[in-house]
Amino acid sequence: MPSAWGLVAGLLTASLLGWAVWRVFGGYPQAKEPSLALTARELAFLVAVADATYPEGGPVPPSGTQAGIPAWADRYVASVPRTVGILMRLLFFLMEHATLFFAAPGRGGRRRFSSLSSEQQGAVLEDWRTSSWFPRRLVFSSLRAILTMGFFSDPVVLRALHLAAKQIESPVVEADLLYPAIGAHRSTIAYGPEDLVAPSGIPLAADAPLHPDHAEPTQ
Amino acid sequence: MSRGVEGEVRVFAEYERDFTEEADVVVVGSGPCGAVVAHELTAKGKRVVLLEEGPPFTPQEFELDGALSMSRTMREAGLRTTRGTIIPTMQAIALGGGSLVNSAICVRPPDFVFEGWEEHCEIEGTRRSDLDPHFDAVEAFLGIAPTPDDVQGQRNLLFRDGCNALGIESEPIARNVRGCRGSGECFTGCRARAKQSMDISYVPAAIKAGARVLTSVQVQEVLTDGRRATGVRGQVVEPFSGRRSHRFRIDAKAVVLAAGCMATPILLQKSGNLANGSGQVGRNLQFHPGLAVLGVFPDEVDPGFGATQGYQSLAFLREGYKLETLWAPAGILAVRFPGFGHDLKKRFAEVPYAANWDAIATCHRSLGTVRPRRGASLDPILTWHFDAEDAQVLGGALYQIARIFFAAGATTILPGVHGVADEMRSLEEADVLRTRRFAPSDFVTASNHAFCTTRMHGDPAKGVVDPLGRAHDMDGLFLVDTGIFPRCTSVNPMFTGMALAHRSAEALADQL
Repeated sequence: MPSAWGLVAGLLTASLLGWAVWRVFGGYPQAKEPSLALTARELAFLVAVADATYPEGGPVPPSGTQAGIPAWADRYVASVPRTVGILMRLLFFLMEHATLFFAAPGRGGRRRFSSLSSEQQGAVLEDWRTSSWFPRRLVFSSLRAILTMGFFSDPVVLRALHLAAKQIESPVVEADLLYPAIGAHRSTIAYGPEDLVAPSGIPLAADAPLHPDHAEPTQ
Repeated sequence: MSRGVEGEVRVFAEYERDFTEEADVVVVGSGPCGAVVAHELTAKGKRVVLLEEGPPFTPQEFELDGALSMSRTMREAGLRTTRGTIIPTMQAIALGGGSLVNSAICVRPPDFVFEGWEEHCEIEGTRRSDLDPHFDAVEAFLGIAPTPDDVQGQRNLLFRDGCNALGIESEPIARNVRGCRGSGECFTGCRARAKQSMDISYVPAAIKAGARVLTSVQVQEVLTDGRRATGVRGQVVEPFSGRRSHRFRIDAKAVVLAAGCMATPILLQKSGNLANGSGQVGRNLQFHPGLAVLGVFPDEVDPGFGATQGYQSLAFLREGYKLETLWAPAGILAVRFPGFGHDLKKRFAEVPYAANWDAIATCHRSLGTVRPRRGASLDPILTWHFDAEDAQVLGGALYQIARIFFAAGATTILPGVHGVADEMRSLEEADVLRTRRFAPSDFVTASNHAFCTTRMHGDPAKGVVDPLGRAHDMDGLFLVDTGIFPRCTSVNPMFTGMALAHRSAEALADQL
């Protein structure tokens, strides 16, 4: 028979464990679309932190989620080496749950980041950004770097800032007669010596058409 | 054993089984130094096999998105950092190496840099005048020339104007470019095919002259017979996934390692600690830590147009830094902006009015090491410590950039340094950059210029190679990348590496 204290301690441990499991796994929305690398929990964190970092409106209107940051981050994590991807996911986990130790101001400040109010989320980010402890600033910088790279992958953002890439027809040079597309056989090279063109050297015009990936979609 | 087909490139899809080939010389690494050696030796009638772990990229495969581009063209997705003081540093994995994704800067270091080399590392015959014929040869081959004004763009020309207003010498950057269109896309691959990266310049020329170029092959060991290097062996690797498959061996009379200052020492260490009688393999790692300042002007600058790096000032080299203009993919550059939320978005709105200029510092006191990881990977464990005195130099450099910005008419600068204001609106406000005692951790620096991990030295007990790149402890083994620099160059290193490689190739050709 366990003693009464043992029973209390067991109940407390079980409660703590249950709470920890819920905090990490519970109450997250289902992902709307299948992801490449990230879980629904990680995407929920990215939605929250993307919009806290890039709220809707202002001179560059899209919010973080409207700019597609969570989907971009998913693609990015899928494209990097596995160990690097794990580090990024640890970074997301750390920021989602670090409120346990660095609480947001106000009521419920120790809830996970994605459950905080937008004011609390802003306060948490500011606390990390201005921390006197270099590793915390570095964590903030690393997270914000990922979010910023995602924000700038949005053609709407690029067009708003006049940074959309111009259309450039790549001239065929001698090297193009030697190398196939990555993964393909050299027999697939479509060019011959008759296709060779010297680079034009003509400066790109300010009103040159945009690259199809950055141009406004046509109806 | 096969002699292979002379004058041909082989790509990943074409490896069907294990293979062995032989040649006069096997060159490991197709970056600027390896490509020069492969071409020069082939042109002199030697049978050369050039090995590259990455694939050849075509313009259709260039990613406009900076981060996704890096994840394809860089080792460790471009996210490699050091331990100790954290500094991001990248190494390309592509035919042509770093030249595919650098800004094509070609600068000859001034005399005093080479005098410092001679004095510091007891070497002879490596003055600027000794190397000028080799600089000339590379320059002529690649069409290296100053960036013309019509593709500079405002963000580069404003730097010139600011320097002129202050009486600071500046100059258009000489680059290995023919027919630049000012797209500012050097870092993600030149869609205009203007940049004479190695994959479209030296490597095709080497192939035409008879070199065999094998891509997607990872060298894992240098083979030896007693004191002599006799070849290399390794495995075929799939592009991007890095999955290894068929094994290969190349037997050769000489082995040239040009795998970069991080992979070359690892190859030596993994090959039984080769050529390391001095104990210097993997030591003395130096960087040019770089920092950028963003300046905002009252009128639109249109920073999306112009050469990626078009103007520079060498006026402060003796003080320990070089100033230059810099552009990068927007998402990468925007990482420099301080803050978040609506404040950050307001700052982004200033981007069309902004220019970005940077300093790279000579940091002889800040040293590190390169060590191998477990397994076959050539990715290193890097450790580096940013010396407090070296860090102080960067504060002075930032102040000079601030001066130039305000002299050019900027209304605001964003220094991007911890411990000072996020933005400064006058030179008086920026004075703190000159007077403050900065800690190394106040700066978020980066550097893709890395050196000295297999340094040359006149004394075999203190260095790995002689000034011609010949290993002190091994016959038939040449090292020809920036690892052999005895100290940093104080300017962008690619051109110096190529000139030294050109000289090494001549020496090796004479020896064979």
